[in-house]
Amino acid sequence: MTAMVLEQEIPRFSAWIGPALLSFLLAASLVALFAAAATWLVQAVASGPLEAGDRVYRGVRTALGDFAGIATGRVWALARLAVQESLRRNVLVALAVFAVVILFAGWFLDPANVDPGRLYLGFILGATNLLVCTVTLLLAVFSLPADIKSKAIQTVATKPVRTGEIVLGRIIGFTLVGTGLLLVMGLVGWAFVVRSVSHTHELLKTSVREVLDGDGNPAGFQGRTSAERGHRHFVSLDAAGGGRAETFRGHRHAITARQDGEGLAFEVGPPQGILEARRPLRGRLVFLDRQGKPAEKGISVGAEWTYRQYIEGGTASAAVWTFEGLSERDFSGGLPLEMTIRVFRTYKGTITEGIHGTLQVRNPSTQLRSEAFPIVAREHTIDEFWIPRTMNTVLADGRTQQADLFTDFVSDGRLEIWLQCLEPAQYYGVAQADFYLRAGDGSFAVNYAKSCLGIWFAMLIVISLGVMFSTFLSTPVALVASLAVLLIGQFREFIARLFASQVTGDSTIAPGGGPIESLYRIVTQTSITLELDPTPAVQVMKLTDTVLLAPMRVAAGLFPSLSALGTSDFVASGFDIPGDLLAAHAAETLAFVAAFCIAGALCLRAREVAS
Amino acid sequence: MSSAAPLPVGDVVIEARNLSKVYRDFWGRSKKAALKPLDLEIRRGEIFGLLGPNGSGKTTTLKLLLGLIFPTSGEARVFGHPATDVAKNDRIGYLPEESYLYKFLDAEETLDFYGRLFGIPAEERARRAAALIEMVGLTRDRRRQLREYSKGMTRRIGVAQALINDPELVLLDEPTSGLDPIGTREMKDLIIDLKQRGKTVIMCSHLLADVEDVCDRIAVLHQGELKELGRVEDLLTVTGVTQFRVRGLSSEACEEVRAVLARYGGAEIEVGHPTTTLEDLFLEVVRDTEARPGRRARSPAPSAAPRG
Repeated sequence: MTAMVLEQEIPRFSAWIGPALLSFLLAASLVALFAAAATWLVQAVASGPLEAGDRVYRGVRTALGDFAGIATGRVWALARLAVQESLRRNVLVALAVFAVVILFAGWFLDPANVDPGRLYLGFILGATNLLVCTVTLLLAVFSLPADIKSKAIQTVATKPVRTGEIVLGRIIGFTLVGTGLLLVMGLVGWAFVVRSVSHTHELLKTSVREVLDGDGNPAGFQGRTSAERGHRHFVSLDAAGGGRAETFRGHRHAITARQDGEGLAFEVGPPQGILEARRPLRGRLVFLDRQGKPAEKGISVGAEWTYRQYIEGGTASAAVWTFEGLSERDFSGGLPLEMTIRVFRTYKGTITEGIHGTLQVRNPSTQLRSEAFPIVAREHTIDEFWIPRTMNTVLADGRTQQADLFTDFVSDGRLEIWLQCLEPAQYYGVAQADFYLRAGDGSFAVNYAKSCLGIWFAMLIVISLGVMFSTFLSTPVALVASLAVLLIGQFREFIARLFASQVTGDSTIAPGGGPIESLYRIVTQTSITLELDPTPAVQVMKLTDTVLLAPMRVAAGLFPSLSALGTSDFVASGFDIPGDLLAAHAAETLAFVAAFCIAGALCLRAREVAS
Repeated sequence: MSSAAPLPVGDVVIEARNLSKVYRDFWGRSKKAALKPLDLEIRRGEIFGLLGPNGSGKTTTLKLLLGLIFPTSGEARVFGHPATDVAKNDRIGYLPEESYLYKFLDAEETLDFYGRLFGIPAEERARRAAALIEMVGLTRDRRRQLREYSKGMTRRIGVAQALINDPELVLLDEPTSGLDPIGTREMKDLIIDLKQRGKTVIMCSHLLADVEDVCDRIAVLHQGELKELGRVEDLLTVTGVTQFRVRGLSSEACEEVRAVLARYGGAEIEVGHPTTTLEDLFLEVVRDTEARPGRRARSPAPSAAPRG
């Protein structure tokens, strides 16, 4: 498994929901006020301001009454109708398309890839997401306009049916259909991925040689496995023949030995580390500059993407993670540390070797430090390091003394881990999420199901969006409108970052400035990494950008971002999807579905279904 | 025409006041005045006909009463509720002009679906669906999807869905459209039966004979304007002309009657044998053929009811 980018910390759901709910209510109120004002304006032109006001009031009152009168029986009847409609429109053809996708994946995906788990999982989850969302969006935008065109809606609208029930029934119906598709695709995809990455090797007896210690006694064995799926592993075993194959292409194999007549027979186990659900405990990262003083950030090596900051080798520069909530109960044997360290070389050095550095643990209260543990940073892999329960600490007089991890280094559940690069003029690049303690492992199958739940959330949003637009637009226009909203939603995070960048004046958050500054930079061909001179004209330009970005920031929140709901990267990277994240996604989905459902019901109510 | 029982006065089911509809284009410009201000009251238990040529505003009036479109001015109330209030729909049955139903459902599924919309319990729903399917003669075809139905069959299942909730008020848009003469007669019999069961029926049609046969009162619309409104017999009675219909009169007696009429100053308009209607003739032929399969139909019986 390879590293996973986590640009924003995942907040606790309990801390997230309050501000999120407030923000939702604010946005909903603004939209409702805007819609009421627009309706009043249109009505006022036709009937005068007083009559318009009365109509808006009556409309709101009736709409509220309609929502209060929604009956589950009628919603279920309409949902069943949507399911029957979908099935008789041969929606199950989507499963045939998925089967073809699986066939192509089997033929063309390279099992010798550097990270086959990520490749297969990314492909299968991506294909499932795309297929399910596309099919359900098409169902959603075709259904209601088809009913209006065929006038079948007239026989429904003349029954005691609320428009909210028509919209909700369709959303539920298509969701049931989509859920069925997702279940089948998810199960088939899971079986395909597991089958595709499962393999084993044989330990080649001819390659096994005994390793002796300094006294000439047998210390173990070394060898290599047979080549399977385009790779083989080097093997280091203990004297009894047990051990494991070295990690290669994101996985390793356990090896066991048993006595077999003339000698040892080795058995290579299934791949480990390829389909996992690691539960990381992440710390907070701060940097020390080359003099060892606290710094806001690490060193920039010129990369536009500032996710990773760098520390300079051969200096006092360090990256320090502070972990909280450590308990002896959870980590009684020591701390399993996993890390991804990027390397930036100012000279080539020995390219086949990693860059040397050290790790130290420190008590944040007493400042007691352990001895430095040497490490070698290699690119593109997750390095594992076990911080033992007892370790040496260097006293002021230079003597060493044994110290216990929890007694001497952990203070109130807090612990610091320092990373330093030893080689002068070489740099380590780190991000907060790259360094974590492996607090445990979840089930891969459950994690995969959680990722499918993320796809389900996206599908739910797509369906409700499609149904909402189909209440007042024809099929092709509703389709384009839905896609446009989803596309704009992809820029939601960017607009938020851009606004934050404008307000704080920190161009590293989102370089390039707002719309006017961007235009200026395009015209004058000025790079986005270049700071503009703070002339009065530039100040005015930035202020105008901030004013322009404020409503854009508010409006951006109205657009759902499907990519933000995606959790496939967690599964592909081998991380357990946090419950807090899933809960936040569920709440966000519910908010969008409710908003689209209400908007759809009001739009349908406002239109003449038989004109 | 149905036997006209005295109408209870004051039990108004439908009320339209100054109801008008102007269709507009995308830019809000007036495209067509489909209905000019209309005042109308329809009372409980009557069969009311909206009569007029194509484009006269009949269907627009029905849609306004159903709340399917919104009035440009005026107001329509059904059972005392505004026409756009869905609460009224509990007591209404509606047969649209072309039975706009879901073609992917079969007859049973169709009635089950509409029954669910009324919240009818499952057992009662199944009982009513079976009875209605039997009533409209689709028992053998109840499991076929509606896309396979002929126009007449679609019309029949349309009628069944309109009656699934045992409505107090039934609105029928061109109810005999697409039906063969037998179906037409059955439809007219059904309408009369609904009246006898105390239902109020509003039908719109441009088929004058259908309206004349079943309606108690009619409104004649033309170019969106109400031209006539009243009881059918009042509107159709030709004052100043007296008609005798006598069976078995000899030619001599005819001459004598003619002389008497001349003596009292009556101007003779027509004396002769009345004709039956083509509908009656057709039904007679079908009945006869069914009674004596494989044989040519007899001439209509001399006793067949004459027209008028």
